[in-house]
Amino acid sequence: MNSYLIFLLAGLAIGSIYALSGVGLVMLYRATGVLNLAYGAIGAAAALISWQLDQWGGFTPLCWLAGIAVAGLISLGYGLLISPRLEHREPVIKAMATLGVLLILLGLLYSLWPANPRRLNLPSDAIAFNMMGVRLTLTRLLAFITTLLLTAAITLFLARTRIGLLMRALASHRQLSAIVGIRVIRIEVLAWSISGVMAGISGILLGALVRLDAGALTFLVIPALAAAIIGGLQSLALTLAAGLLIGVVESLCTLLPTLSSYRSATPFILAVLAIFWLQRNNRLLFASHQ
Amino acid sequence: MKTNRSKTWLHSLPLLGLLYGCQVLAAEPTLCGPTGAAPASGTPILVGAIVGKTGPDDFSSAAAAARAYFKCVNANGGIGGRPIEYVIEDDKWNPETAAQAASKLVKDRKVVALVGSGSFIEMSVNAKLYEEEKVISMASACAVRECFEARNIATTNQGPLPSNLGAVQWSVRKQGSKRVACIGLNIPSNGVWSCDAVNDWLKQQGLEGVSVVFDPAAADFTGVILEAMAANPDTILLNLPAGAGLGVLKAAQEQDLRDQYKWIAATPLYDSKIPAALGDYWDGHLAVQIELTRLDGQGPDAKRWRALMAKYGVGDSRASNRIDTFSQAGFVSANIFVETLRKLDPNQIDRASVSEALRGVKDYHTDLLCAPWTFGTGNKHMANHAGMMVQVKDLGYGDLEGCFEVEIPAIYRQVESGQGA
Repeated sequence: MNSYLIFLLAGLAIGSIYALSGVGLVMLYRATGVLNLAYGAIGAAAALISWQLDQWGGFTPLCWLAGIAVAGLISLGYGLLISPRLEHREPVIKAMATLGVLLILLGLLYSLWPANPRRLNLPSDAIAFNMMGVRLTLTRLLAFITTLLLTAAITLFLARTRIGLLMRALASHRQLSAIVGIRVIRIEVLAWSISGVMAGISGILLGALVRLDAGALTFLVIPALAAAIIGGLQSLALTLAAGLLIGVVESLCTLLPTLSSYRSATPFILAVLAIFWLQRNNRLLFASHQ
Repeated sequence: MKTNRSKTWLHSLPLLGLLYGCQVLAAEPTLCGPTGAAPASGTPILVGAIVGKTGPDDFSSAAAAARAYFKCVNANGGIGGRPIEYVIEDDKWNPETAAQAASKLVKDRKVVALVGSGSFIEMSVNAKLYEEEKVISMASACAVRECFEARNIATTNQGPLPSNLGAVQWSVRKQGSKRVACIGLNIPSNGVWSCDAVNDWLKQQGLEGVSVVFDPAAADFTGVILEAMAANPDTILLNLPAGAGLGVLKAAQEQDLRDQYKWIAATPLYDSKIPAALGDYWDGHLAVQIELTRLDGQGPDAKRWRALMAKYGVGDSRASNRIDTFSQAGFVSANIFVETLRKLDPNQIDRASVSEALRGVKDYHTDLLCAPWTFGTGNKHMANHAGMMVQVKDLGYGDLEGCFEVEIPAIYRQVESGQGA
């Protein structure tokens, strides 16, 4: 029983960051119609910049803030300069453009921080609790709490604030929203900035929990994408649950020797199952209804 | 009388000149063999290397060391006046690119040999081509099984199999390990192969070994460490690249597992940046097997390697010029290659003569290696099979045991090195 609990808690910590990343992706998609594949690379940039500033002797909390701010700025820059130019293109073209950003950022990060052993330590790593016989660091607990709080905050923001209302309006019908006078670009830029900040927070937490490597952090966007897809790219609550589920299933697979080696396939398998489930009542004859 | 004296003086001039010349030669540091000659300007000798530079890890520091060595050779007269033209190709961790690079170097440019190659991909893809084209690769950074099972490739680094076996054999001998969990990457020709070899050796000794392999993309190292714990070992062996190794050790630290197991590791965790990245927690608790001798070794070749990198390695990218194990291995490969070429007639240097000469390298001594290096005549080459043990200590590495032979599987032993089989 105890080993199940250990794996459950370990899975919840990683899963919560998948969920946090997924929520950031869904929030952006709802407001802008862009599936940002560079989300992980932006997070990687935040983690590596924080680490570098810390190595140079910066005040640690300021280093994280600087990393998160740079992530926000990269995302803001994209939202301001590139995204508006692709406004009328198909969703897949918009996603491909962010794939380009991913490759550029990844190359840049690899050239600035080549493959050297490095470790991002958060002060919370040193503080640990014993929970039902399992040792749990404060970083893992923080990852979980941050995700719950941020998801709740984003949900409330979208539901209760005027800007949230405008974002939802954009999500429902962009052209109609523009016609009635909503400043589409301004709202989109705000969504890009919030999403960038969330990518930065996820990147730093993953850098501490997983490993501080540009490639590894960049491609951790995959489980986040799977969570977002399970959430239908709409529901924040479902995305949160899906992220946690992916983390927990991935972790629990470790206990089954036959599945253990394949556990990193968990996000793909769950995403494919979700796609089948979500379109179970759709009948596609010659073309989709879209 | 006066005339005679001046004549005697004139006769002694060549002798004085010779003495002066000898003095100059003796005074010059010999970083890459004989010095004092004018820079080489004859017909270039074309040499290649294929490295995995762009990708998940940078395997180019060996070729950077070889390049520095060849720069030095060319500045000091080359090989009988012929400079070495060294062409390095990046395989970008892509099999197709690796095949194209080999084809370009071996078929189009007709290199006489490959020296200092380092890759996770290249050797597996190109071993057959090298054999068909009768070209030798004096590699320096081999990490996969195929590299050690190719007739025309021999490397100066150990690779994962001897390095892990060395760590385990030391731990059994010195720490009394009885049940070892080998944590490696789920790559058949790397982690699986070398962990299996460790398990086989342990079984032969009446001890137990368990492989814990995971996908290189796995996110959570806590799961990995817990899986290792589930095997109930007394020793945990880290058969991992530095980044993943650090991740696993951090997860172990989170669970405060340091004192519950003996922790040993293969060479990748021997890197000047590792102790600081690990922090105080692991001080004195992680033993690492090293493939060549210490990076701060005081032997003549160790000093020569560092001096050469400082003088001729400048100007290249900082990533490539790392002072690491692969860089040492690159220096050794280049040194063997140049010394072998110097024994040939400079005008007769071609692929056939170079291949024959390299295949004949036997009992090459250097203080950078723990034991003499022999290319070997067989179809398998595991030429570097002796190492040292160090432990993470005081933000650096302290000695645990000096050079010792690793007992490698019989199929890799060389007849000519006197190891039998």
